[in-house]
Amino acid sequence: MAIRELTLAHAGERDLSKLAEYQAIGGYKALAKARKMKPEAVVEQLLASNLRGRGGAGFPMGRKASFLAKGTGKPTYLCVNADESEPGTFKDREIMLLNPHRLIEGCLVTAHAIESQNVFIYLRGEYLDVFEVMRRALEDARKAGLMGDVTIVLHRGAGAYICGEESALLESLEGKRGQPRPRPPFPAVSGLYGSPTLINNVQTIATVPVIVEKGGEWYAKIGPEPSPGTVVFSLSGNVERPGNYELLLGSGLRELIYDLGGGIPDGRELKAIIPGGSSTTVMTPDQLDTDLDFNSVAEAGSQLGAAAVIVIDDRACMVQLALRSTQFYMHESCGKCTPCREGTRWMVQLLQKLEDGRAEQSELDLLLSVCDRVLGKCLCALGDFAAGPVVEYVRNFRDEFQRHIDEGGCPFGGESSLEGTFAPVDQHTHAPVAEVPA
Amino acid sequence: MSATELVTVTVDGREVHVPPGTGLVETALAAGVEIPVFCYEPRLGAAVGACRMCLCEIEGMPKLQAACTLTATNGMIVRTAQTSERAAEGQEATLEFILVNHPLDCPVCDKGGECPLQDLTFRWGPGNTRMTFPKRTFEKPIPISPAIALDRERCILCYRCTRFSESVAEDGQLVALNRGAESVIATFEDEPYLAPFSGNVIELCPVGALTSTQYRFEARPWEIQNVPTVCGLCPVGCNIQATTREGKVKRILSRNHPEVDEGWLCDKGRFAFTHLRARDRIADPLRRVRRRGFDVLSWDDALGEAAELLMQAQGRIVTALSGSETVEQAYALGRLMRAGLGAHTGVLPEETSPALDAFRLPLSAIRDAELEPVAERAPIVELWVKAARRQGAQVEQAGDALEGCRRLADKRNALGKSLRESERAILIWSGEEGAGGAHLAALAKELGFAGKPASGAFHLPCTPNGRGIADAWAAASDDEGPNPEPIGLLFVSGDEAAADPNVRALAERAERVIVNAMFQGLAVGWADLVLPGTSYLERDGTYVNLEGRLQRLRRAVIPPAPDELAWISKLAERFAVEVSPHASAVFAEVSERIYDGLPFGEVGEEAPLRTRSEAPAPQLPSEPAAEGKGLRLVRYRPLFSGPAVERVPELQFQRPAPEVELSPGDAGRRGIAPGETVTVTHNGTSLQLRARITKSLREGIVRIAAEHAGELGGTVEVAK
Amino acid sequence: MNLDAIAAIATEYPERQSAILPALRLAQEEHGGWLPPEAIREVADALDLAPAQVEAVASFYDMLHLAPVGKHMVEVCTNLSCALVGAQQVLQAFEEQLGVAPGETSEDGRFTLRAIECAGGCGRAVVVVVDERYREPVRPEDVPGIVEELKRGD
Ligand SMILES: Cc1cc2nc3c(=O)[nH]c(=O)nc-3n(C[C@H](O)[C@H](O)[C@H](O)COP(=O)(O)O)c2cc1C
Ligand code: SF4
Ligand code: FES
Repeated sequence: MAIRELTLAHAGERDLSKLAEYQAIGGYKALAKARKMKPEAVVEQLLASNLRGRGGAGFPMGRKASFLAKGTGKPTYLCVNADESEPGTFKDREIMLLNPHRLIEGCLVTAHAIESQNVFIYLRGEYLDVFEVMRRALEDARKAGLMGDVTIVLHRGAGAYICGEESALLESLEGKRGQPRPRPPFPAVSGLYGSPTLINNVQTIATVPVIVEKGGEWYAKIGPEPSPGTVVFSLSGNVERPGNYELLLGSGLRELIYDLGGGIPDGRELKAIIPGGSSTTVMTPDQLDTDLDFNSVAEAGSQLGAAAVIVIDDRACMVQLALRSTQFYMHESCGKCTPCREGTRWMVQLLQKLEDGRAEQSELDLLLSVCDRVLGKCLCALGDFAAGPVVEYVRNFRDEFQRHIDEGGCPFGGESSLEGTFAPVDQHTHAPVAEVPA
Repeated sequence: MSATELVTVTVDGREVHVPPGTGLVETALAAGVEIPVFCYEPRLGAAVGACRMCLCEIEGMPKLQAACTLTATNGMIVRTAQTSERAAEGQEATLEFILVNHPLDCPVCDKGGECPLQDLTFRWGPGNTRMTFPKRTFEKPIPISPAIALDRERCILCYRCTRFSESVAEDGQLVALNRGAESVIATFEDEPYLAPFSGNVIELCPVGALTSTQYRFEARPWEIQNVPTVCGLCPVGCNIQATTREGKVKRILSRNHPEVDEGWLCDKGRFAFTHLRARDRIADPLRRVRRRGFDVLSWDDALGEAAELLMQAQGRIVTALSGSETVEQAYALGRLMRAGLGAHTGVLPEETSPALDAFRLPLSAIRDAELEPVAERAPIVELWVKAARRQGAQVEQAGDALEGCRRLADKRNALGKSLRESERAILIWSGEEGAGGAHLAALAKELGFAGKPASGAFHLPCTPNGRGIADAWAAASDDEGPNPEPIGLLFVSGDEAAADPNVRALAERAERVIVNAMFQGLAVGWADLVLPGTSYLERDGTYVNLEGRLQRLRRAVIPPAPDELAWISKLAERFAVEVSPHASAVFAEVSERIYDGLPFGEVGEEAPLRTRSEAPAPQLPSEPAAEGKGLRLVRYRPLFSGPAVERVPELQFQRPAPEVELSPGDAGRRGIAPGETVTVTHNGTSLQLRARITKSLREGIVRIAAEHAGELGGTVEVAK
Repeated sequence: MNLDAIAAIATEYPERQSAILPALRLAQEEHGGWLPPEAIREVADALDLAPAQVEAVASFYDMLHLAPVGKHMVEVCTNLSCALVGAQQVLQAFEEQLGVAPGETSEDGRFTLRAIECAGGCGRAVVVVVDERYREPVRPEDVPGIVEELKRGD
């Protein structure tokens, strides 16, 4: 298996954050080409490329662009989702740090395609380094006269995972609490300030210049047909060489972990793999031969998600893992819809009890029932992100959950790699009212 | 709409035809199916889909859908919890999650018995609880204002209250803090929710999280009666429900009249009812004995005394009205004074003009207009104007009433020009000036509104029934008479008149005074005879609101003394005038004369607006006499003022501060900063007030609440 | 409070309210790392909003603090990728070195220690964020050096 770099091409050898360096490798040629094309023709290329969104859901980008409402008399907006906060993902940060002009060029080409003059990049608030790099790159692009009639506003978030959800992102950008909106209406019809809006992930947009440069059909032919192209995989957890690897979709999971990642350190055994960030469901070592593309991972019963592969070795207690993951979703639930707000909290309570060895048999069933009552019932996908994985942790590692009940405690006896993990749920300092202990 | 424009939707196997875009909850209702909801409330703007109570199965959509966020499209097939097991499971899940942290303290909850959460749990909820962990607990209840208590444990986070604050009242004061399971409803730094419409959140709350401090532990729903009536505290005439228990009013709820109030009430209308039990409420007739002393009289003696005083005055009687009398009461009084005693002089609380009836529209038309110059101050009207602005209407500040009339009538005025061109333009004026709206009517005519059914004009009177009593007083007799000099007897009808400095000035000139009032504080000290008054909640009859809509008042509770109609009728008998003690009979007589014989019974629970009439040609105001240099003072009656409000502890924090409002320009020129104490001078008298800088005020004008304006009038000078 | 700066930020957006997060960030910097009520009020005034609306927004986001914080903020990611490779040992090392528990501020007001959710550096775990700057990867044995460095810098 080979590394195939498109969005990160040359990023290893040269300092592409410098405009001249980026231009030296052919940067901004796609923009020049696109601006000579009719906007519709650019959208045609995107459709032909069959580029699927890299933010998690994998929706074809060209189709989304073609849904944008026309003739509304309102401006059209492009929002770039750079909120990257799914546990396990760190690819957008790397793309922006190493190749900021690629994203800017992608923004400008896409803006041309959808006839938008206003681009907002919603940047994860914690990414101060990225902010500085992007701000400088934008300034350079502006000075070099590359912007045309387009303005790109770099908008920093302030720490809320939910703002990566597209409608919450819009609310946050409008200066409100980042809570998802019901859909319909979809952003393509009524998005930012009630205007037609296209929202795409950083990597999706950063891929656009390549498509314009080499043609949609060329792009559609690399990688497996239903989901062509490359993806930057974020490899983390218990592997020898964690990091970002840009690969063709359809590359093998085993190759990523063992060949590129160097396998499991310290002679430990592989126990589980989370293929697409903590919201995707866990896979087991017998599924190592799964190809990493949207359809193959789905057939294996999980999701490619944001292509964030987390490797878990045999020291990990899966109840602790499930608990820590659920604590995250509880902490990040926006609080708008009932099942997500109450369900995640209840799940955490049940998992904690299981981990402590105080749970009764019926409470394992209750946990699954609570998950079931969250799944498919929330306003946005966060509830599913929380509950879906828990069901699969239990299904795949039922024995381990069972032992916590039977043995009245954690079978790892304090030796789990996750032992004692402290989650921020307990340390919210925002509450103006003291929660009185029961 | 014709049948071809309807779409067909199937709900639980039943087909219905509704206009496209109808909400799915309403569509289901049309099919006879109830979809339960908590957060859904169309009056609060677009649906938010937060509570997930309304989950339904829609054919062609894999996931359960929140019905409240969808609208009817042709061919849609909906299965609710009644026929879909998945939907039923979804609903049960939602209820279970809502109850997971709910305290279930129904036995001590004011909402118990009329609580949607109780009802839906009863019908769809789980019978047992699977939650074994400690529930979220909070300090409770905490006051969010003197009138409203918040119990965070009961809150189900439907965001109705915060959406009201943000998108209806636009006060932005009640918000959700924190995130996720830690979310709570709060005000900034626990400061009181100080806004004129705050009480609506009590009614919006589907559980007992937001409750009225006045109603706390006062009644159980099975021991109360709800009497449908109309608020009598301002000229809007919001439709209300008076909840009574054992003959006492316990709370006021809204009763949605979609053309008048859309189910909102101001805090005065909601909370001021406790003035009925004010400590200085007069229950028995009183006669002055020595200079300041009073004797309690029997009713017989009181009526004898009153007849005696009326007789002695030999027709030299002046009647001062409040504007809060019912049409019937004013008419009855008119019959007694005018037909019985030949005393035709009535001092009306304000000028009113029938000319406006040619430009009559329901208040709800304000929301749908496109262009609205406003010079207004009235509670619910403000909400309609806000709704219009949200819908994209152009709302312009017209400055002060008189000057605005002249300016807009000018053919060169740009706004005036737009008004002439618009099909949906509405003028909204208020204030004591302007010949009771005659000038405004003249402007409307000048702008060509007569031929445009969606354009109109509102002049907001100062008193709740100013228009009704003017008409009724006029209808009581066809004769006229000269103003008496000297005044033999001043008859003061109602507390507002009793509190009016002009009426007090008349009393100085009168030989004898009879006051009909509710409160001792207002009557004692200057009246020879005091007859107990009643409140709008204790009377039967009709009011005419600012639209010109005739509305029905119903007695919610029996007053502590006979009501006005009862004793006016008895008094009239002594002077050989026949006046019925029953509102229905009096109304029949009035109606014969001025309401085209409309029967009392047809005034209705949800009164319709009478059609527009031909208007007499009104007059545009002429140039006012130059009053010298300085700033023109506009005195106004603030919402939270008047004898009733003064007697309600929960409303004291809402009363206006002693302030003078200035435009930024006038303040700037005088070097006045916001909050500074300034001196306002007129004719040698001066007052110290705090300066408030108001962006919407035009230059050259200052505003002071009447209760803080003292003797000031005309033009004033303001200095640091 | 830098009203001009807020006004300048607001011009970047079609609607003023959009400037609320940048404005709060500025206000927080000016008020020693957190947002006392007067800071909320100032932002509200600058953007023509009610203070409650501004507080509602501020309380939603993790990076905006409504209670005082230390001069230095030390944040340790304890989400999955970091937890799998020893985040709790790193957090513990900071607890020992700084003498505070996660979520607390040292008595001298110099340090606030927090556990945070995934910081987006999973490939270089354990991620520690010191005063908004990422240190990655950090091992427990690196902690005394970091603390030493911070103390020396003061
Ligand atoms: C809870 C939640 C968090 C999300 N976070 C992100 C994120 O951090 N970055 C991202 O690009 N998409 C995120 N998404 C997906 C977005 O909603 C949206 O689908 C995506 O930005 C679309 O871009 P794409 O089509 O280019 O993938 C998230 C979705 C959910 C439900
Ligand atoms: S207080 Fe009542 S209205 Fe407000 S969110 Fe809670 S349940 Fe809803
Ligand atoms: S997190 Fe609240 S609805 Fe999705």
